[in-house]
Amino acid sequence: MKTTSWFTLYKMLIRTSIRSRMQYKFNFVMASVLAALIQISEFLMVALVLHKFGAIKGWSLHEIGYLFAIMTLSKTLYRTFGNEVHHLEKYLVGGELDQLLTRPMPVLLALLPQNFRIMAGEVLQGGFILCWSLAGMMHSGQIGWTVIPFSLLIILTGAIILFSIGLATATLGFWTTRIEELQTITEDAARTAAQYPLTLYPKWMSGILLTVIPVGFVNYVPSLYLLRGELGAWVLVAIVVVAILSLAASLRFWKFGITKYQSTGS
Amino acid sequence: MTMITARHLQKEFKTPVVREGRFSGLRTLFSREYLSKEAVRDISFDIGKGEFVGYIGPNGAGKSTTIKMLTGILHPTSGEVLLGGMNPHQERRRTVGRLGVVFGQRSQLWWDLPVKDSYDILAEMYGVRAEDKTKRLAQFAELLDLESFWATPVRKLSLGQRMRADLAASMLHDPELLFLDEPTIGLDVNAKRNIRQFLRTLNEEFGKTILLTTHDMDDIEQLCNRVMVINHGQLTYDGSIPSLRDTIGLPTLIRVTYRGSYHIPDAISSAIQITGAENQIVTVEVNRKEWSTMDILKQLEQWGEIEDVEMKEPDFEDIIHRVY
Amino acid sequence: MLYFTLASKAYSRNLQYRGAHMVHNLASAMFGYMYACLWIGIGADHSLGEYGTQGMISYIAFTQSSLWISGFLTNGLGIPLTVRTGQIALDLMRPVHLFTHLMAREWGQIAYQFVYKSIPIYLLFSIVFSLQWPSEGSTLLFAAIGLAGASYLSICMNYIIGATAMWTTESSWLHWGNHAMMNLLAGFFIPLEWLPDWLERIAWLSPYPFLLYVPTRIYLGYENGSLLWGTLIWCVLMTFVCLAITQVLRRKVEVQGG
Repeated sequence: MKTTSWFTLYKMLIRTSIRSRMQYKFNFVMASVLAALIQISEFLMVALVLHKFGAIKGWSLHEIGYLFAIMTLSKTLYRTFGNEVHHLEKYLVGGELDQLLTRPMPVLLALLPQNFRIMAGEVLQGGFILCWSLAGMMHSGQIGWTVIPFSLLIILTGAIILFSIGLATATLGFWTTRIEELQTITEDAARTAAQYPLTLYPKWMSGILLTVIPVGFVNYVPSLYLLRGELGAWVLVAIVVVAILSLAASLRFWKFGITKYQSTGS
Repeated sequence: MTMITARHLQKEFKTPVVREGRFSGLRTLFSREYLSKEAVRDISFDIGKGEFVGYIGPNGAGKSTTIKMLTGILHPTSGEVLLGGMNPHQERRRTVGRLGVVFGQRSQLWWDLPVKDSYDILAEMYGVRAEDKTKRLAQFAELLDLESFWATPVRKLSLGQRMRADLAASMLHDPELLFLDEPTIGLDVNAKRNIRQFLRTLNEEFGKTILLTTHDMDDIEQLCNRVMVINHGQLTYDGSIPSLRDTIGLPTLIRVTYRGSYHIPDAISSAIQITGAENQIVTVEVNRKEWSTMDILKQLEQWGEIEDVEMKEPDFEDIIHRVY
Repeated sequence: MLYFTLASKAYSRNLQYRGAHMVHNLASAMFGYMYACLWIGIGADHSLGEYGTQGMISYIAFTQSSLWISGFLTNGLGIPLTVRTGQIALDLMRPVHLFTHLMAREWGQIAYQFVYKSIPIYLLFSIVFSLQWPSEGSTLLFAAIGLAGASYLSICMNYIIGATAMWTTESSWLHWGNHAMMNLLAGFFIPLEWLPDWLERIAWLSPYPFLLYVPTRIYLGYENGSLLWGTLIWCVLMTFVCLAITQVLRRKVEVQGG
């Protein structure tokens, strides 16, 4: 099957997924608005602190807002398309992966469209904080309008990196079956850590966040260049390379993991 | 030409040894000790085009594991599988596109959508041309009576309807090879009959090769010309049903109704076992491999005037239990 | 006896997941560690009031650990689920008051979380950050009372949230709203005195400060225990609300048939 027909099939499966959801009175807009509120309250917490103290390690409220927003939007993009990777455990425990393995298409292509959904609340919340922080920084002259297209770029690369981390963690499930606990560390904890400047953490921690679990490349590293003019324009190229490499690596790992699939009893 | 070739298939499952005591969960996570379970020991067979093979065995014998290895879901620890010359583990997508699979316990249709939508999606997935799809669905609709629930969401179908829809789905791309895992489980008598008829048509009229696993012995008796029995991960029998009966050598039951009185001699051949004698009816068990039917009847005739003779072959179930 | 059984059942049900919970503790500890790092970062450039950097670290350590007994309770005490399955009608029919029934179960859950989550996490923090333990027995005593009160208040609040499931399927609104309030008004990350005045005033009008802020302040030695009167008043108030809500619930079930 050629790439174009994979794409047609993918679109069809996404439409199917959406139609399935429409069958129920699924208030998914409501649910994601709620989630957005929680995340805003998390940012408000930090905002209150910064309101009182001015800056953290030389990072202003607007800059930290930017870090937050990029991370939120990257995660939202990742979870819109790749949510089932995060929920792989239920496929492993229930043996539902069997079904997908009998289809004449790459397993991921069959898996991912199953739970495609628009996360309106998170997009709004992330978008709101992003606009607010960009406006603030542009007003003070810290950045120019070129930051906007680059921000969109790093949201994309960020989503790819987060997806790769999620995929690699999920692949471990082929050996351990249960991965939810591990995911709280590699996905939730790591992501929360990277919402703040990495200089806050001891070297060993920031090291991990730039190598093993490369969340640092989602928002922090690009921000160093885009917001503060540090490093250089090559950073953006490097980010793209990191995204591609991590995706390739996790896909290989995934392919390997599938051969170790044990399925359920009978 | 061989449709399925299995050579020395072996599958070992490694599960970590569950540690007892404090923090057992955490210690299990980090333990390096594994419990090795050999689900499939060493299985080899060839299945030719057009065969209808039954694959049976007690629960936990390795049936599902074998099927999953044949369909590419599991990778064998050692050994190889060829389906129509292709290896499902090296070329999963290409191989899988040429076979049909039906899992009795799980549907491959889209749960919330009308039945016809699933066929549209599957046609796209398997690259089935529009005219072929229409033609085949029309055929299946007739054979399986699908029209009545064509637009019903899958989750609202009865088990029998869902199974029929699943069967049609598995044949949509016209595969030469069909794997069925407990397709009649939980169905009522009529539904079973309907499905068996469909499978028979697929095999006899369309020449499809079918591998069927089931716990229902009637399925095997009515459909299969060959049966493979697996137990403890190994094939304990592979051959036709009549020769299975012979091999097991369970006795045939003969009920003779005598007119008037009869007399059973004290010394009778050891090949005949009397299991009952009430009123005019004598029941005996004989091993027809040792004695031909004619000789047996001649013996029975000597005991009295025969009014009626009834012969009953051992139940297939009983034979299978012997093999298990 | 019944209540003890309910509680201990809830406790032992959790034991089989100890291993997974330990891994989760690691994740929880990491969150706390991050927050502590944040305050260390802030403290490097600013004065941190009466706490100082070390004090803020202790503050974070204590609040993070006590979240498991006053923050992360069973969603709505399980009521939304029983409403969905219809089980609620059976529960209300039992010769046990629904409130005390569910509360007993939750105490078991809280006890488990205290032993297997709060304590290990706090121990980890105290080792990593060389925290001081309180020197006076009375401090520990008052802090313990504060924590118990916080748990009780949290049980009540979850009970009320759960009860709303009887009227709306969107009770998850309240649950998440509750979490958001915790983040802002309970002194989760920032001591309440550092909030803007108007927000601080709002916070004290609610029971939220008594969930985290008050026990923490007592434990760290900044308060003597007089704030516990506030805890007590809120506990009494909440109890009345819960009892009243149960009455309303029961009447609704009787009328509607569950």
